[in-house]
Amino acid sequence: MTDTAQTPVIQLKDVNKHYGPLHVLKDINLTVDKGEVLVIIGPSGSGKSTLCRTINRLETIDSGQILIEGRPLPQEGKALAEVRAEIGMVFQSFNLFAHRTILDNVTMGPVEVLKTPKQQAQDEALVLLDRVGVKEQAAKVPAQLSGGQQQRVAIARSLAMHPKAMLFDEPTSALDPEMINEVLDVMVGLARDGMTMVVVTHEMGFARRVADRVVFMADGAIIEEGAPEEFFTHPKTKRAQEFLDSIKGH
Amino acid sequence: MSAPVDVMSMRDALYEEPGPHTLRRIRIFTGVSLVLVAALVGLVIHRFCVTGQLDPKYWSFFLKGTTWAFLGRGFLGTIGVAVTAGVLALLLGMVFMFGRISTHRPLAMVSRVVIDFFRGIPSLLLIYFFFLVLPQYGVKMTSFWMICLPVTLTASGVIAEVLRAGVNAVPKGQWEAAYSLGMRRTRILLKIVLPQAMRIVIPSLISQLVVVVKDTTLGYVVSYPDMLQNARVLITNYDALVSVYFVIAIIYILVNYAINELSVRLARQSGTRVIGRTNENPV
Repeated sequence: MTDTAQTPVIQLKDVNKHYGPLHVLKDINLTVDKGEVLVIIGPSGSGKSTLCRTINRLETIDSGQILIEGRPLPQEGKALAEVRAEIGMVFQSFNLFAHRTILDNVTMGPVEVLKTPKQQAQDEALVLLDRVGVKEQAAKVPAQLSGGQQQRVAIARSLAMHPKAMLFDEPTSALDPEMINEVLDVMVGLARDGMTMVVVTHEMGFARRVADRVVFMADGAIIEEGAPEEFFTHPKTKRAQEFLDSIKGH
Repeated sequence: MSAPVDVMSMRDALYEEPGPHTLRRIRIFTGVSLVLVAALVGLVIHRFCVTGQLDPKYWSFFLKGTTWAFLGRGFLGTIGVAVTAGVLALLLGMVFMFGRISTHRPLAMVSRVVIDFFRGIPSLLLIYFFFLVLPQYGVKMTSFWMICLPVTLTASGVIAEVLRAGVNAVPKGQWEAAYSLGMRRTRILLKIVLPQAMRIVIPSLISQLVVVVKDTTLGYVVSYPDMLQNARVLITNYDALVSVYFVIAIIYILVNYAINELSVRLARQSGTRVIGRTNENPV
């Protein structure tokens, strides 16, 4: 057996991807260790969302390798589904199942994939919904909730699968400003509890406060990575400096 | 975000609130068209009078119970075919749709050909096939099935495409969310996508039911006693063409109007379940 404490949870080796003539991911090398919170920042169109989505193969790659706990990410079928079940994902647009109740949204994964008995799944779901502060909404449908509530449900839905790692693809970008913090607070809580997280975000405050490591991307390549304090105060590259300058004063 | 658009808000989005100028123009056009319609109706009635179509001998048999009992049997015949063909077409259309969107290429190709064939072929041609060709090869069936199956097949092609449009209309994010939970394609289709697709396409499916009802009138080819067929018998018996056609036209229109009402109601109902009362957004 390999020592899981040393095997990175997620590892990308020389990953490349093109959209036609557009080279969207350029020789990406990245590791995420157990319990680590990795925040990916960068201008829009830099490929950070695409990178995040390759990790559970919602986006395919042209070359290179993606390893989950040291094993290559399967390309299809049951094996891929099993890996996906172990990696939670939270989307910019929440993507709650529109025709089902909040409770059903959270029990869907455990019941359908893990074959958890329905009653047990519901009990666990209510605990999770309570944890993210939307237990009272359990019987409603997604459209009846605010954006911030929906995103917290989406996080609970992912947590119900007891994931080994969670991917956050711009989780607060579609939210009204007053709802951003209620979602970030949940994410901070997860990070404190030791969840392995990859977070694509524009929330620099969150990155600074919670990230173990910050990755800065531009034009499909990783330009710089390092500890958040170091990166935000003394960026090594001109590109990162420009980016930080451009978002300052907000 | 992903819910189908409410009927009312769609109307609001399509039509700008009219200003005073437009309002005046609308009133003028309404007045003119009312006058024109009244004139046309008057002309029709006038012609009926002149040609004697309003003569009691053409209408008095509608006072007899036997007339209505006879038409009623035809009505039941029509409904019987329409409901059977409607249900079968929905099931078959579902099967064709699953084939069409299959990731198994050959199956998808075959389904596509089958769908396009039934979608493109006129019902009447298929009826002749069932009525004239199949019996030559020893395939015998009752007149009920000779009208029912062709109508089913032509409708199923359209329904397959309607369902596929519905499946495509469900936002991609629903698939991605389900995939990321570790669900597989078929389960996602059945549990997540199809239920939402059905809500989107209910109005189109019901319109197709109207087409099925109208197609049943082709039953005369195989001498199936539907409402139109029985109407013909009445026409011959009483030598009353216009009055009988007038009455059954109204019945057909009422039936299809009722179906449309049902569709609007269903769409509104399932709509509210999906959309909820978004305006009362809790904080």
